[in-house]
Amino acid sequence: MTQPVFSRRNALGLFGLAGLAATAGCGSSVGGGSSAGSSASGGGGAIKVGLVIPQDGVYTPLGVDMKNGWDLFLERHDGMLGGYEVETVIGDEGEGPDTGVPAIQGLIQRDNVDVLVGIVNSASALGAAEAVAAAKKVLVISNAGANAVTGDARNPYIWRASFNNAQAAFAMGEYLASQQPEGGVFLMAPDYAAGQETFVAFKASYEGGGGTIAGEALTPFGTTQDFQPFLSAIPGSGAGATFVFYSGGEAVSFVQQYAGFGLKDTVPLYGSGFLTEGSVLEAQGEAAVGIQTALHYSTEIDNPANTEFVEAYQKAYDVLPTCFAVQTWDAALVLDLALADAADLSGDAVSEALGGVGEISDSPRGAWTFDGQSPKHVEYLREVQEGDGGLINVVVEELGEYGQ
Amino acid sequence: MTEWFADNFVSILNGLAIGSLLFILAVGLSLVFGMMDVLNLGHGALYLIGAYVGFQFTGGISSWGGFLTALAVAAAFGLVAGLILSVATEPLVGRGHLDQALLTLGVALVVAEVISIIFGDDVQNVVAPPGLNESIQVFGNTYPAYRLALIGVGAVLAIVVWLVIEKSSLGALIRASVSDREMVSSVGVDNRKVKAGVFAFGSMLAALAGVLGGPVYGARTGLDETVLLLALVVIVIGGLGSVRGALIGSLVIGQVESLGRANLPEFASFMLFGALAVVLIVRPRGLFGSKVGAP
Repeated sequence: MTQPVFSRRNALGLFGLAGLAATAGCGSSVGGGSSAGSSASGGGGAIKVGLVIPQDGVYTPLGVDMKNGWDLFLERHDGMLGGYEVETVIGDEGEGPDTGVPAIQGLIQRDNVDVLVGIVNSASALGAAEAVAAAKKVLVISNAGANAVTGDARNPYIWRASFNNAQAAFAMGEYLASQQPEGGVFLMAPDYAAGQETFVAFKASYEGGGGTIAGEALTPFGTTQDFQPFLSAIPGSGAGATFVFYSGGEAVSFVQQYAGFGLKDTVPLYGSGFLTEGSVLEAQGEAAVGIQTALHYSTEIDNPANTEFVEAYQKAYDVLPTCFAVQTWDAALVLDLALADAADLSGDAVSEALGGVGEISDSPRGAWTFDGQSPKHVEYLREVQEGDGGLINVVVEELGEYGQ
Repeated sequence: MTEWFADNFVSILNGLAIGSLLFILAVGLSLVFGMMDVLNLGHGALYLIGAYVGFQFTGGISSWGGFLTALAVAAAFGLVAGLILSVATEPLVGRGHLDQALLTLGVALVVAEVISIIFGDDVQNVVAPPGLNESIQVFGNTYPAYRLALIGVGAVLAIVVWLVIEKSSLGALIRASVSDREMVSSVGVDNRKVKAGVFAFGSMLAALAGVLGGPVYGARTGLDETVLLLALVVIVIGGLGSVRGALIGSLVIGQVESLGRANLPEFASFMLFGALAVVLIVRPRGLFGSKVGAP
C-alpha cells in the first residue's frame, strides 16, 4: 500500500534523463569532455560537479536548501572553484539508497563528473562509498551524518563538510552533566541509525560526567504520528530534563505534543539542533519557544563570514539559511581551497588536496578543520526565541570543539 | 486496578481520541468497500486534501471562522471527489479489485503530487480553533482540549451514521443493494445512484477527517499513505461494510496505538500488525464482518 509500483520518482527520473541527455549533447558539440581538458594544475580548465540532492520525497526541503547554498557560493565566486569553471549536474537522491546510489552511479558513468557533492541520507552515503571508491571520484558529503561514513566504512574518496551524528549529542551530554538536572534526563529518539548513534554519544558523555538516565524510549521511525504513549512515561520517571533527536515532520509533531501534554513547563526540553532547524521551526510555532539545542550552526552566530552569508542568502532567497545550506556552502568552500592546490582533477589528487586544506577559516559556522575526513567544529548551545521576523535560534554559549 | 487506571488514564483518553478520528476516516472506506464492493485506495488522498484545506483556511492562525470554513470546503471537495471516483470506477465493476486498486491508487498519486506542487513539501501546521487550542486539566493530568473535542465529534458522527444506515429507509435501501443488487434494481431503483451516494458520503467523511485531524497530525507529504494503511487495518479488524465494525475497529486500534505502546514500548513497531494478525487468526472476516463484500 505504501510503496506504489509507479512512483512519482520514476516519472521525474524520466524527465531528468531527458534533461541530462540534452546537457550531454551540448557538452559533446562544444568538443572535449570536461575531465579531458583539465589536466593542468591549479586551474584554467573546467570541472564538472555532480550535485546529488533529494528532489522528491520527505527530504525535498533539505534539497532546496542545499542547492541554494551551492548556487549562492558559485554566484559569489564567478562560477569558479579553485580556478576551474564549474558545470553543475544535478542528480536526484530521492529518499533512500534505492534511488540515491543509482543517482551517483549515473552521474559518474553517464555524466562523467569529476567531483560529487551532496547526499542527505546516511544509508545512501554508505551505499555510495563503494561506487565512488571504485570510480576513484571524490564525494564531499554535505549532510549525511552517520559516524560510519567517515569512520568504520571510510575510504580515501569520501569527505564530509557537514557533521557527524555524535557531535551534537555528545556536546549536549556534557552540558547537561554540568547542569545536573534533578532526577536525571529522559532520552527519546527515532529507532534508526541516527537515533541510536545519538543515544550512544549522549550516554557516553552524560553518564561519563556523572549524570543518570531517568528513562529512555526509541520510537518507531516514520510511523509514529502520536508521541503521547511515550511522553506519558516521562512524568513518572521523575526526570528533570528531556533530551531528544528528531527532525523533519517528527520534530514538528513531537515539539507540539510535548507542549500540548503540559510537559514543556515542567520538564525542560533539550535536543540535537535539527529539532528546531529550518522550516520545522516555523511549523512548531509557539510550542518551540524556550527549547535548547546543540548544533554546529545558527543564523545568529556573530562572525563576519556568517553576517555576510546570512545577508546574501536572505537577499537571494528571502528566507533565513539553514545548517543544510551552510554545509553545502562549506562543501563548495573546501573544494575551492583544495582544487587550487590539486595537481589535477583525479580523485586521488583532489583527495590529497582536501587532506591539506588545514583550517577553513571563513566558514559561516566559524573556523573548522578536518579531523580525519569529517569536520571538527564548535558546537553551539542555542535557544529558540521570538525574533523580529519570527522564531530564531539564539546562541547562548559555545560548548567547545568536537571532532570525529 | 484503580491505580493502574489512574496511571494510564491519559493513554486511554488518547486512544479514544485517535479512535474517533480513525472512525470518521475508516467508516467511509468500509461502506464503499463492504457495501459497494469497490476498493478505493484514493481514500488517504481525500484525507490529505482535507488536511491541506485545513492548513489553507486556518493559515497558522487560531480562528473558528477559518476552521469552520475549512470543514465546509473540505466537505464539498469530498462530495465532488466521491462522485467523480464513483463514476470513474463504474466501468470497472465486475473486473475485480485489482483494476479498481490501480485506478484509485493512480488518482491518489496524482492528487498527492499536485498537493506537493502547490504547497511544497514542508511540514505544515494546522492550528486548533480558539478555546480548543490549549491544554486543560483532566483529573490532574494535562491534556490538549482539542483531542477531548475530537472524542465528542467522533461519538456524534458514529451515532448519526449508525442511525442513517440501520434505522432510516435510505439505510435500508443501501443495505438492500448490498444483499441483492439485481432484486433492488428490479423494483425500480438505480444501483449506480445508491453507489454514488455512498461513495460521496464516505469521501466527504474522509475529507472532514483530514481537517479534524489537522491539529493532531498536521499536513505533510506522505500522510495519505500513513492514514490509508491505518484505515485499511481498521476495516479489516472491524469487518467490511459494517458501521459497528468500523467503530469497534477504530477504538481497538486507537487503544493499541496509545495504551499498547505506552505499556509495551519495546513492541511499538509490531503492535498494529500484531493486533491485525490476532484478529485474522481468530476471526478471518473481522470482528463484525458480513459475508457480503468479503473478497
